[in-house]
Amino acid sequence: MFLHNLKYELCCSLRVKDLIIWLILFPMFLGTVFKIAFGSIYEKVDSFSAIPAAVVEVQEDPALHQVLDSLTEGEDALLDVQYVSADEADALLRDDKVKGILHADGRLSLSVTDEGFEQTMLRTFAEQYNANRTVITDCAMNDPAAVPAVVESLRAEWKPVTDLPLSDGNPNYMVVYFTNLLAMVAMYGSITGLHITIQNQGNLSKLGARKCCSPTPKSISLCASLLGSMLVQSVCMVIAVSFLHFILKIDFGSRLGMVYLTSVVGGILGLAFGFWIGSIGRFQTGTKTGICFCVSMFCCFCSGLMVGNMKMIIARFAPWFNKINPAALITDSLYYLNIDSDYSRWSGAMITMAVMTVVLILLGFIISRRKKYASL
Amino acid sequence: MGETVVKLDNLVKRYGELIALDHFSLEIKEGEIFGLLGPNGSGKTTTINCLLSLLAYDKGSIEIFGKKMTPTSYDIKQQIGIIMQDVAVFDELTVYENIDYFCGLYIHDKAKRKQYVEEAIAFVGLEDFVRFRPKKLSGGLLRRLNIACGIAHKPRLIILDEPTVAVDPQSRNKILEGIAELNRNGATVIYTSHYMEEVEQLCTQIAIMDKGRKIAEGTKDELKRMIKNTETVTIEILELPDAVRSEIENLPHVYETAYIDDKFTVRCSGGRHNLIRILDVLRQNDLSFGRVYTELPTLNDVFLEITGKSLRDKED
Repeated sequence: MFLHNLKYELCCSLRVKDLIIWLILFPMFLGTVFKIAFGSIYEKVDSFSAIPAAVVEVQEDPALHQVLDSLTEGEDALLDVQYVSADEADALLRDDKVKGILHADGRLSLSVTDEGFEQTMLRTFAEQYNANRTVITDCAMNDPAAVPAVVESLRAEWKPVTDLPLSDGNPNYMVVYFTNLLAMVAMYGSITGLHITIQNQGNLSKLGARKCCSPTPKSISLCASLLGSMLVQSVCMVIAVSFLHFILKIDFGSRLGMVYLTSVVGGILGLAFGFWIGSIGRFQTGTKTGICFCVSMFCCFCSGLMVGNMKMIIARFAPWFNKINPAALITDSLYYLNIDSDYSRWSGAMITMAVMTVVLILLGFIISRRKKYASL
Repeated sequence: MGETVVKLDNLVKRYGELIALDHFSLEIKEGEIFGLLGPNGSGKTTTINCLLSLLAYDKGSIEIFGKKMTPTSYDIKQQIGIIMQDVAVFDELTVYENIDYFCGLYIHDKAKRKQYVEEAIAFVGLEDFVRFRPKKLSGGLLRRLNIACGIAHKPRLIILDEPTVAVDPQSRNKILEGIAELNRNGATVIYTSHYMEEVEQLCTQIAIMDKGRKIAEGTKDELKRMIKNTETVTIEILELPDAVRSEIENLPHVYETAYIDDKFTVRCSGGRHNLIRILDVLRQNDLSFGRVYTELPTLNDVFLEITGKSLRDKED
């Protein structure tokens, strides 16, 4: 009896046009739109760019020139310097065309009007230059023969920019939009979950009433519907991830298998969410569908699908909500998977999702089964 | 008639202040085609829903096949076929798959189910449409599919809640023939409808209910004997003076007349030779007339006389 129900549940689910449109085609379309819209930003790697600086010399310093030349050449140049007069340097700084002025009068001193990453880099450079210059000068006075070795040693130590990856993931923040898209597909599963309740409760549909008149216990019918819908939802999630990764070339990090797993669990959570909403209250089908759609979209909105920093705003004012918002949990777990080098935060999010799924399904199941009479 | 199949005893169902079923009792014997008649809001569908345990009731008891009916009476449900007022099938499944699905809820043996499904398809005449989805079917074919889904498992008790609504005469005839055949094959049938001629043609026992109560029950002949009207005479006449109409109204056994669109209708209660007496009055007054016809009371007359002619705007 269970397999008979499951077979036809799968048949029905796979032939529902709405499901194909909203769970497969629409995410593909939206993903493509995202890719086109954010494509240029997404492609651009956030590489370090040379810091514009003005150099004001009291008297020409060949040693300084040599050092600066070595830092302004090549693709990974640290500085972009202009040798100018003091007035010109002030004007450039005022117009924000340079980030700082390096005054060279034997030692380097720095003038800045702002604080930031570039200014810190310039300050570090100036301090390092002065320190090295002192070391070399002292060495020349005390042991001139050792100067070349000291210079070589200092050059080897001087590495102003080091590429230090935090993880094997993709640090590009644009990937968040695509994880939000996956969360949206997962939350669309709530409509499928709602459909399960509608088709099994006599007061919500004629089909439900007909099923209630049959000798098949409601528990069997519900289990078959749930399992069938979970399988279909999982397939939709796998298609969505595959499309984004293999067709649109979105880099979700080095743990793609885990991304699939997370998305599938997220999809089942979305389905459980809809199943629970469907089972509570005595609203009619249309009302329940409206509530389910609005709540799902609200969850997606709060997780940052429409406004990128919405999750940060909620984290500031109502952090508890991000911990129970299914869409936020899905995006968070995908984010942790991409960024973190270990699985601790991801495991936490996954456990929360799994517990929520089980609780929502159990609640929906108990409420539906307790409704012995359809109460038409 | 055989044993009691359905027994409703003093059933009471309230929706807040509204009493949908007011101590309603009913007994249906095996082999009957039982017609449940009543105007909108009379409680027919409420009765069916209580019977099927889709609806909880406040008082009374329901027994089917001698056992108390509850939502978990799966052994009783196994023997019931239900054809709802609205078509309840899956749009995503074909005709064959729909019948197979619903039959599978009752019959678990695959070979037996296959045979039953094919017999149901042949029974409703959908052999040429087995691969069609419901959306491709006409209203009549859809109703026939709805019936096939309800009877494929060969139930002992079949409940049909207005199965011929919005169906063309050909399909309606096919459905009625089918119901009669199901009954001949041994099924007990409960049939609700607004179409009096269907009930008159089909049902062996009829109950008329109104405002949640049973107000009459019997065979169609027994019901007809309960009402005042025994004969309705209709005469096509171009002009009818008031004096002549009064003279006819004063004839013995005449209790009601109406003159609408050149048609003079006289309703009589009992007596013999009513038509001759009416025509005599017209001749004596030198009035010429066209066609004349006389009708015995129909179930419609019974229904209208028992339930009244005022409009009912409440939905059942």
